[in-house]
Amino acid sequence: MPRNDDYGYAVARIRALELQLFEPSRLQRIIDADGLDAALQVLAESGYARWMNEGARYDSALEAELCATFDEFAAFVPDRELIDVFRIPYDFHNVKVLLKGFFKAKPGGKKRYDLLTRLGSVPPDDLVSRVESEEYGLLPWRLSETIPSCVSMWEQNADIVEIERALDRRMFAEIISLAASLGFPGVISWTRARVDSENIRNLLRMKRFGFDSSAAEPFFHDGGTVAVSALVSMISDQPDAWVRNFAYSYAGEAVSAAIGSGGFDFSEQMPALERALDDLCSSVVKGARYSTTAPENVTAYLWGKEMEIKNIRTILVSKAAKTNREGVKGMMRRGYFG
Amino acid sequence: MESIISTMAGQLGQVFVVLGAALAAGMAGSGSAWGIGIANEAAAGILTEDPKKFVSALILLALPGTQGIYGFLIAIIALRQAGIMGDASAVVTIWQGLAIGAACLPIAIAGFYSAIWQGKSSAASILLISKRPEQMGKAMVLPAMCETYAVLGLLVSFLMLRGIKVG
Repeated sequence: MPRNDDYGYAVARIRALELQLFEPSRLQRIIDADGLDAALQVLAESGYARWMNEGARYDSALEAELCATFDEFAAFVPDRELIDVFRIPYDFHNVKVLLKGFFKAKPGGKKRYDLLTRLGSVPPDDLVSRVESEEYGLLPWRLSETIPSCVSMWEQNADIVEIERALDRRMFAEIISLAASLGFPGVISWTRARVDSENIRNLLRMKRFGFDSSAAEPFFHDGGTVAVSALVSMISDQPDAWVRNFAYSYAGEAVSAAIGSGGFDFSEQMPALERALDDLCSSVVKGARYSTTAPENVTAYLWGKEMEIKNIRTILVSKAAKTNREGVKGMMRRGYFG
Repeated sequence: MESIISTMAGQLGQVFVVLGAALAAGMAGSGSAWGIGIANEAAAGILTEDPKKFVSALILLALPGTQGIYGFLIAIIALRQAGIMGDASAVVTIWQGLAIGAACLPIAIAGFYSAIWQGKSSAASILLISKRPEQMGKAMVLPAMCETYAVLGLLVSFLMLRGIKVG
């Protein structure tokens, strides 16, 4: 395992690169733009311009920017696994798209390869050819075991939700295991925060759809700081009571800020909770910015970049849908500068 | 046999001097190389994205290099005092040689450690100017704090050498 001293170059380069990240004032300019075209014009004045060709869709430009960032980091960061931690969710997204396509494809129907993303560690073309030819052995993240088990699950009960759940479970297990193999405390804490965030989201979704405790357990993932058994027991409580349950955990502030003490309105407060949970993950690695050699700087930057792209996408979608500016402003993640 | 022992005893003073000089130049120089190497990584990192910061980065990464010069200086003074360089007529007793060798240690030790920490400090300052180039003054002052202790080591070594009389 490399020591922190190996990260002198990488951290210095990140310090120089962070000047290109969007500060809140820059995001505000896009929010203030009159309409989608004006917002895209502001975006075209930044580093995103290189992906914004004539007629290109903005979501392709955002994906290309994130993909280029991952590739650039892979070239200079001593541990490639630090980037893979971010790429694993996209690999699993691609596997879900492919499997759903295979399971639900009608004879002669079109497969939705356009939904595949290039952000994963396995190029989409390779993934497609390996899955189609059933050569799973070369796939990473124990997909060689997971995909066949998903296929047999489909053959047994044709339940796509169960398959998605199995893939999510494997995905978080792989992320946690990869972070543990690196041994960097900040990265481990960040991955655990991501598991906690996903579990809290699932808790809220299940409450909304009226799940009871007995059915909830498979939807939670191991590896977070909040035990799955504790989350399962919270299903029967009202969301207001969760504030007390989380009060002594590091997620307490985020849950309290989003849920508050009054009655919980899912449609109004769910976006606030989503934002609070993303900000929680940002806060876990924020301290790395004071270190000149901490590998956690890589995690902080890449997470900051993902949040920047999420913010830009939110703004552009709202521009296209002509929703009000104040509502969009409230959905902005703090990201790298928070 | 006796003549061999007496010749060895006669030269042992100079051996201690050479050992001290080697430590002063070697340790302080190694520390400087180490420190510059640390600062160099940071400089290369920011220059990859912004080559215009070369001059500022060069000034900061050169700061840990002074300890190597101090060590070299003390080594030369020690060798001259013992007559190994220049005045070949000087005779150094074992105790005088031991004293000169010991006088080289402050700069050897302080130079070695302060250069490494100054290198880390310079690397941090290079990161500072990558974001705030207008803060170059402050960026230079911070690693210079480590320099204080290398200068004290140099001063103590110099004063000790000056105090040793070689007949």
